[in-house]
Amino acid sequence: MSDTTTPKENLVMNHLVSLSYSEELTPILERYVDALIDGRIVGHKCPQCGRVYVPGKGYCPICVVETTDKDEFEVSDRGTVTGFTIITPVAYYGQTETEPFVYASVLLDGSSGNLGGQDIIGVAHDQLHSGMRVRAVWKPPNERTAEGVSNRGWGSVASVIDAFEWTGEPDADRSVYEEHIF
Amino acid sequence: MAATDIAVVGFAQTPSVRKARESEVQLLVPIVTEALARAGLDRREVGFTCAGSCDYLTGGPFAFVSNLEAAGAWPPISESHVEMDGAWALYEAWVRLQHGDIDTALVFGSGKSSPSKPEEMWAQQLDPYYLAPLGVDPASLAGIQARALIDAGKATERDFAEVVARNRANAKDNPNAQVSGDYSVDKLLQAPYVRAPLRAHDFPPISDGAVAVVLARGDRARELCDRPAWIRGLDHRIEVHQPGMRDLTASTSTTLAARKAGYDGGPLDVIELSSTFSPQEIILREALGLDADANVNPSGGALAGNPVMATGLVRIAEVAQRIVEGSAGRGLAHATGGQVLQHNLVCLMEGD
Amino acid sequence: MTEQAAVIGVGQTHHKKKRADVSIPGLLREAALRALDDAECTWADIDAVVIGKAPDAFEGIVQPELFLADALGGAGKPMLRVHTAGSVGGSTFIVGSHLIESQIHDRVLAIAWEKQSEGNAQWGLAGGRGRGIGAGGAFAPWIRAYIEKTGAPEYIGWQVAVKDRLNALKNPYAHLHLPDITIETVKESAMLWDPLRFLESCPSSDGACAVVLTNAATAKKASKPAAYIAATAVKSELGQFPGRDPVRPQAGVECAHDVYRQAGIGVPRQEIDVAEIYVPFSWYEPMWLEGHDIAGPGEGWKMVEGGDTELTGSFPVNASGGVLSSNPIGASGMLRFAEAALQVRGQAGEHQVDGVRTALAQAYGGAAQYFAMGILRNEPA
Repeated sequence: MSDTTTPKENLVMNHLVSLSYSEELTPILERYVDALIDGRIVGHKCPQCGRVYVPGKGYCPICVVETTDKDEFEVSDRGTVTGFTIITPVAYYGQTETEPFVYASVLLDGSSGNLGGQDIIGVAHDQLHSGMRVRAVWKPPNERTAEGVSNRGWGSVASVIDAFEWTGEPDADRSVYEEHIF
Repeated sequence: MAATDIAVVGFAQTPSVRKARESEVQLLVPIVTEALARAGLDRREVGFTCAGSCDYLTGGPFAFVSNLEAAGAWPPISESHVEMDGAWALYEAWVRLQHGDIDTALVFGSGKSSPSKPEEMWAQQLDPYYLAPLGVDPASLAGIQARALIDAGKATERDFAEVVARNRANAKDNPNAQVSGDYSVDKLLQAPYVRAPLRAHDFPPISDGAVAVVLARGDRARELCDRPAWIRGLDHRIEVHQPGMRDLTASTSTTLAARKAGYDGGPLDVIELSSTFSPQEIILREALGLDADANVNPSGGALAGNPVMATGLVRIAEVAQRIVEGSAGRGLAHATGGQVLQHNLVCLMEGD
Repeated sequence: MTEQAAVIGVGQTHHKKKRADVSIPGLLREAALRALDDAECTWADIDAVVIGKAPDAFEGIVQPELFLADALGGAGKPMLRVHTAGSVGGSTFIVGSHLIESQIHDRVLAIAWEKQSEGNAQWGLAGGRGRGIGAGGAFAPWIRAYIEKTGAPEYIGWQVAVKDRLNALKNPYAHLHLPDITIETVKESAMLWDPLRFLESCPSSDGACAVVLTNAATAKKASKPAAYIAATAVKSELGQFPGRDPVRPQAGVECAHDVYRQAGIGVPRQEIDVAEIYVPFSWYEPMWLEGHDIAGPGEGWKMVEGGDTELTGSFPVNASGGVLSSNPIGASGMLRFAEAALQVRGQAGEHQVDGVRTALAQAYGGAAQYFAMGILRNEPA
């Protein structure tokens, strides 16, 4: 600021910080992961309103009542695409993607909420549409892990389900998914 | 001039534990429900909600967003969040209640310290240009503060151990305490230094926990509670950040906040201080002008349980509970933020 | 019990991709000193500081307000740090106004900031993980849903992108100055998050914004005109649950109706002279026009198409160039309030809309689930 006539190179000090966090999965998520490795998708069904959350949260955020193992509820691995976009990856430290990828929300049959961020394979990007019926493409049982499942709700099925593919069924009616756009 | 007819009418807290298996929202859901139930208030009647938490503690940006689920934010609610201890969330709600158009507020604070390494994470709270790159951690700063206190002739290591023994003994009656029991001062003094002159027992435990408080105004407070804990004064003050620019043996911001909150030095039946390191209780007692026999931290204070981001609001809840239940008439709660008492809040409460 | 609050000082930085010439404290002081100057007061006149920014992970500093206390004259004063995601700049302004309205303080400095170049916001948004989608990726499906629902033609998004960038040419503080932008260049820019194109998206900016707030009685005595706060409201809702309409979130509807009611506004489209609305992606202009009941269902894009939201239109939106032209995330919400204040004070310079008496300011955040809104007027209530 003192001398504006001779611009100087700024001294740049890189300060990279690495913080580690380690947390055991909640018992609800442990059961969820065990089921996933077993090829089943389970959530919690609110005893008050009947909404099904996948994975279970231990409470219903609408009714604010607690839910437990007694409220466990299995949903289908088939569902409906409720919304999607094609992401052109932005580069940042740690970004793993370089090519455009599908980012779709899938409403599994029996669930009240979407599974976000899913890949849809076997369909050209310009053929993708809301309402498409899809089913999970599971990894082989010996390749399924708990990796990516965390108490913070990220990456909930990526370590067991590779992607979703078209079932061949006709599209679901808009009324099925219009309240589930996410 | 702030209104003086706002009161704490409900509260609930989780026990402080070393490692909670529940998610942060799971910790909050039952206590929010309990605090509202204690006030006999329906969730949908709450006029304003404010939460305090820290993204870095939880370990994810926007971590506070999911805590909204504990408030039951559907239909939409009038709500705010501070990246501060829940005591400051209470401050924001108290300010909002002054408007007079609403008469109840829900406040909560929550944090899980167990997933992160506090010495690593909280070092990032320091000036990013001049302090954080040095890697100085909170415990070391507290050690420097303790050393300054001894060098100034204001306290001895034995005084620190006495603070610890008293708080842990007090905590025996607190079902939410994490550390409690009878400890001899001589024995404590035999423990090795961790950050000389501080020993492990001079540090707070690493805790997970949450607390919720319900506020109400005027007649509504009387309807919801037989003996509301009226907030007679509430103020907070910050000091400069650079520890080298402060007298670490004093807490001028606490003294100032207490004065601005209207604390006149009169008798107090209960005092709860967020002294997370034992020497800080000595500093805060002096800052508030408390007598040696003042009833400080009957809960065991932060040395008995330190759910960061909730610790300060727990102090308010502890004082309020004693007033509501009739065992205290007038009390003072203190909350702190930043390192070595940089930012301090004082809440003066009174029964009818 | 309450007293009306008013804005007597507004300051903002020159927003840029990288403000390498200043540190974070320097950036904030630049905005704060301009606001103090405008308010004709000094640090000593400030009773309390309210500060807001988006997630700490964006710069990698935990609770940075603690170290910023030194640069902002905070010592000995109350300092509050607000964090309500993208709406935080608006919420920070509102918390500041509450401190005045409740008569706790006489003069409050509210300040909001982001210095994206000193951290990595994309890393922060991705929670440090790979396969990050950016904010655009999160909002694109809802934009698609809006387009499908209303049948809006694709050029509506391009039109907003051009309009805001042309407005920004009249705002010396704006980050993007793109004099040659046309519908064609927007249309031909890269598709980032289908259906959103590069030029339909906000930039990443370093920047700060500050306001000095006081009570109406003091404001009336000031030598410059003040912006009187006629109404404020904050509303939040859950981000995802069955039955939620993320295209027209109920929290946004209720927040808008709350400020209209407080300000005695019956027909917002007629009674509001200018609006500063948080539009980080072009389509959010028509979406919020409908989402805040300024336009009827499916009518928002027609206001855009007809040129109503242009600087000289019947309902100018983002005369400053908006978030599409400058996006220092945490400050973006406060900039909406600050620009609304400049408009009612008649001090917006080249992008001043004629005869503004009532202005709307809006900020939103999270999964379009946090809303902070205000109505500012050129006269006290």
